[in-house]
Amino acid sequence: MLRKMDEGEITHAFHQNLTASSAASNNNNPPHHVLKRKRNLPGNPDPEAEVIALSPKTLMATNRFLCETCGKGFQRDQNLQLHRRGHNLPWKLKQRTGKEAKKRVYVCPEKSCVHHDPSRALGDLTGIKKHFCRKHGEKKWKCEKCSKRYAVQSDWKAHSKTCGTREYKCDCGTIFSRRDSFITHRAFCDALAEETARVNAVSDMNTSLGGNIGYNVMGTSLGHNMATHFPSIFKPVSNTDETSNQTSRGLPLWMGQTSSQAQETMVNSNLREIHHQLGSATSSGTIYGGNSLVQCSNLPPSNNYQLSWVFGTKLSNTSQELTTSTTSLPLCNNNTSVPSLYSSQHQPHQTSSNMSATALLQKAAQIGATSSDPSWLGSLGLKCGNSQGQDGNNNKFSGMYGSSFVLSEADNSACDMSQMHPLKRRHILNEESGGGQTRDFLGVGVQNHLPTFINQRVDLI
Amino acid sequence: MDTTPYTPNNLSPHLTTFHSNNNQNHDTIDEVAALDNMHRSNHSHTSTSRSSDASETTEDANKWASRLLRECAKAISERDSTKTHHLLWMLNELASPYGDCDQKLASYFLQALFCKATESGERCYKTLSSVAEKNHSFDSMRKLILKFQEVSPWTTFGHVASNGAILEALEGEPKLHIIDISNTLCTQWPTLLEALATRNDETPHLKLTVLAFAGSVMKEVGQRMEKFARLMGVPFQFNVINGLSEITKEGLGIAEDEAVAVNCVGALRRVEVEERENLIRAFKSLSPKVVTVVEEEADFRGSGEDFLKCFEECLRFYTLYFEMLEESFAATSNERLMLERECSRSIVRVLACCGEEVEDGGECERRERGTQWCERLRNVFSPFGFSDDVVDDVKALLKRYQPGWSLVVSQGEDHVSGIYLTWKEEPVIWASAWKP
Repeated sequence: MLRKMDEGEITHAFHQNLTASSAASNNNNPPHHVLKRKRNLPGNPDPEAEVIALSPKTLMATNRFLCETCGKGFQRDQNLQLHRRGHNLPWKLKQRTGKEAKKRVYVCPEKSCVHHDPSRALGDLTGIKKHFCRKHGEKKWKCEKCSKRYAVQSDWKAHSKTCGTREYKCDCGTIFSRRDSFITHRAFCDALAEETARVNAVSDMNTSLGGNIGYNVMGTSLGHNMATHFPSIFKPVSNTDETSNQTSRGLPLWMGQTSSQAQETMVNSNLREIHHQLGSATSSGTIYGGNSLVQCSNLPPSNNYQLSWVFGTKLSNTSQELTTSTTSLPLCNNNTSVPSLYSSQHQPHQTSSNMSATALLQKAAQIGATSSDPSWLGSLGLKCGNSQGQDGNNNKFSGMYGSSFVLSEADNSACDMSQMHPLKRRHILNEESGGGQTRDFLGVGVQNHLPTFINQRVDLI
Repeated sequence: MDTTPYTPNNLSPHLTTFHSNNNQNHDTIDEVAALDNMHRSNHSHTSTSRSSDASETTEDANKWASRLLRECAKAISERDSTKTHHLLWMLNELASPYGDCDQKLASYFLQALFCKATESGERCYKTLSSVAEKNHSFDSMRKLILKFQEVSPWTTFGHVASNGAILEALEGEPKLHIIDISNTLCTQWPTLLEALATRNDETPHLKLTVLAFAGSVMKEVGQRMEKFARLMGVPFQFNVINGLSEITKEGLGIAEDEAVAVNCVGALRRVEVEERENLIRAFKSLSPKVVTVVEEEADFRGSGEDFLKCFEECLRFYTLYFEMLEESFAATSNERLMLERECSRSIVRVLACCGEEVEDGGECERRERGTQWCERLRNVFSPFGFSDDVVDDVKALLKRYQPGWSLVVSQGEDHVSGIYLTWKEEPVIWASAWKP
């Protein structure tokens, strides 16, 4: 029973009794009017609301109300009236009548659209306008720099502010301001090749993982390399941070943010100690957690180790069980997750090679690297609005790996990440169901380090 | 360092075969001698600034190389051995591959002119090719081309346009097979892979078959591509085939359910002029959905019949190219030097190997203009214009480089289709797309 509205006839909307026509809306509609003020999900309108169907012309129209004196256009009559005051013209603000206090919802005029159905109407006039523009409108606004197109001007403006301000950092240390040169460089970068050389045997896993991440973590020396490079993997380089030398921050993430020598050596010695403990011929073994948590690369690829989650990848094709329980950062997680970081499921192949802990890390990261939940970046301490804490850290490591995007702006940056790592096929293993204990896998005895790290901006580099 | 097959001392014996003609040439020789005197102080091989003596005749000073070279070419075409000898000697004195643009142009063209005069073009080309082969490691090539792409859109222009056309033409296809005959070491494909991975809902399977002229570095390139595709999460397969003899569906491993695109960047010119039509027809036999062709805009065909015309064109093009390189790279760039050296082979090949069959192929290097390629392609395919989106992408690309670059869309006059990259208003690269 909708009537198509022409311009200026908004006030004559029919009252639509949604309960009569829609099948999908709430069941609890009393036959008589009860004004409900509860907020519904978008596209699930209050069944009592008045459904208004505006024509495309009306929706797209802006500034229909014109001032006769100066020609300035306004979207609402009220605004025009206020403007007319300035011209000393007679003006009158329309009063809100009781009738108009009724809630209104709007349907999309596009027939094929899901929001065309009154049961999925949108509750906000501006919202339906933007929706119509975005989905069904012509994309008239184009970003100058990257030629991305937008139908809604505000979307375009928002994008233009951030476009080109991002910097991309490859694992080899080179910074790029242009995305296309970054991508091309990445494909040919030695860091990528090195990484793959180490995990060659894993190739069977890789098809689903897309697994090679260009780590720059190379070499056999445990502590220094890892300390040096690990941060580089995680930390996106912001524009302002570039001056600081990457190698000067020698701390692994979980150690917090200072790059003091003391801490570094502490880490290093821990690593070496642990390494010792393992005493593996391959000089690998986990770096963290000298106790039972430690999983050496020599161990067969045990199914308990869910490497994937560390970086939030879903290794859906692996035969290992990929439970969701340990998908967030190792740092904020329970122990079992930690070993998995280092017990790569790809282990068996590694036993013969000279695997250092750093290489293990690489592998681990690599597996996860292809998944990309961009929002994780935010949780990692990028300038993201997310509040930290363990829930904020779920599954989002993966996106960081291998790409080292430098995102200098806020949450939207996370979304941009998805461009680099196709999000669509990757489901990040889901977060630990809260409450992971902080593991002291470094044997440092500090329970709080991990969450602290997570919670703070990582300025390791 | 180039092995220069000539020295000033050896010039005279080689030129005795020329029939000398010394009547009208005195004036020119005097003029040339005047230039010579003026520039004697300009011997420094590494300076990039002109000496103060040249300030009076700035026009001449800036263009001495082209004038001298032109005179020399004229002398050669007239078979004036005395004059040729003199000019070659002078050029040799002034030229240097490490100097400014004029000195460099003089150096590389001198080599070609000498070979032309002494009919030793083939030998020289072979020498240059084998030297190049030795120096072409994967690392050096990669570094070179990536750096070049960073500072200049010379190659990336064609890449962006072609990728755009390919993506649009193959939209929705689940299995893609791209036949790539390019001279850019697969640097075109990472961005395409990324686009495939992120743009579509269903990432298609991509098979990339590269027809290589010199396959040695392609193996490593292929490995990188495979790794990168894994990183992007695009199911990917890479094959290298040497040479252009097997352009059939079976020869290239084209399956029935694959959507084929043929991509030629700087490739068609490497085929002998007579063979080009056959090559294009062979493309047709692959039933491609789209064929993208990118070539440098120059006409080097006429070397046999009209040496001077071809020489002029060659000089014009490479002057542009060298100037572009000078302005794009830093002053002391090694990459620029390498790129310039790469030109020496082409210049010798075009100017001094005219008409002769160079055994073992080598590369023809006879460029044609967009209009000329269009004529050939139009016999077999129909033009497929670049969409506005692709044009916008190219414009956005050019914005990322220094000013001076611009895009010109051909309006369809003269039956030309495609777009041109222009450097200081001069069209330098032509890119086009074709469909069956």
